[in-house]
Amino acid sequence: MQDEISARELSERLDLIQSMIAEGRRSTESWGWVFLLWGVAYSIAIGWASWGGSLSVWGHSYVAVGSVRSGLAWPVTMCFAVIVTLAIGLSRGRPRTATSLVRSVVSIWIAVGIAMLVIFPAFGFTGRLEEHTFVALIAAMLGVANGASGMILRWKAQIGCAIVWWITSVAACFGSIAQLTAVFLIAILVCQIIFGAYAMILESRRNRREVVHA
Amino acid sequence: MPELPDLNPVIHGKLRLALLSLLAGVEQAEFTWLRGKTGSTDGNLGAQLLKLEEAGYVAVEKKFVMRKPQSVYRITEKGRESLAEYVQALKTLLGSAISA
Repeated sequence: MQDEISARELSERLDLIQSMIAEGRRSTESWGWVFLLWGVAYSIAIGWASWGGSLSVWGHSYVAVGSVRSGLAWPVTMCFAVIVTLAIGLSRGRPRTATSLVRSVVSIWIAVGIAMLVIFPAFGFTGRLEEHTFVALIAAMLGVANGASGMILRWKAQIGCAIVWWITSVAACFGSIAQLTAVFLIAILVCQIIFGAYAMILESRRNRREVVHA
Repeated sequence: MPELPDLNPVIHGKLRLALLSLLAGVEQAEFTWLRGKTGSTDGNLGAQLLKLEEAGYVAVEKKFVMRKPQSVYRITEKGRESLAEYVQALKTLLGSAISA
């Protein structure tokens, strides 16, 4: 049998095996839209909070709820983003493959997401969180999630995002509110909006059908 | 001169090789996902998967989800070993082809 097989054909078979195994191992789901959606949501929250005043993460329009102080922009925008994420996620249906890699990455994001959804509203209601601390915390948590999934997937772009978030976390400890907001917005632009769009482009390329004939 | 290894004819088919390699990278996969990745027709894909199943290289679980039939495939231990042996044989053949 092998007498009839050329070296080129053998090499093609090896390439086919490698590419198909890699294809299976890569995340088979599309997640770029989630980064993009949340990047836009963060930006809207900041824009809304800063509307009519100087640049600020939380802004100046607080509503009083008894002795509790909470801004409207972040809770409303985040609730809306959660609803949209769930709606789009459910409309996409269940995954058609299962890999331990994908499950690990999804678990990290769910755990970090729950931590954020629990801790920040609690801080918001008690009024015990200052803007610099808020950005430092959120950036550090996003750095952990991006770093862990980037290392699991061996994806340099996502590890790069983690580094940007960690730098943002440190930078958030310094400077004025306007500087803090500018740094946060840059990190959101790079790590959520640009990275999300980049991931979506990669996903659309990946999803183009690969034709293999018998 | 050392004897050259035979290539496993069940795995050697291009579509079967692609299917086994795809399944080696996931825990399990639905028929529709395999069809999308290979661009094969339902009939051809079903026939090639059946050959792999008969050889004991893949296992299939058929179930109903929302009243629709669904076939979920996974590579067996025998399939994984055979794929590894096939890759080794390919490398040996390629090495001998280059040095010839």
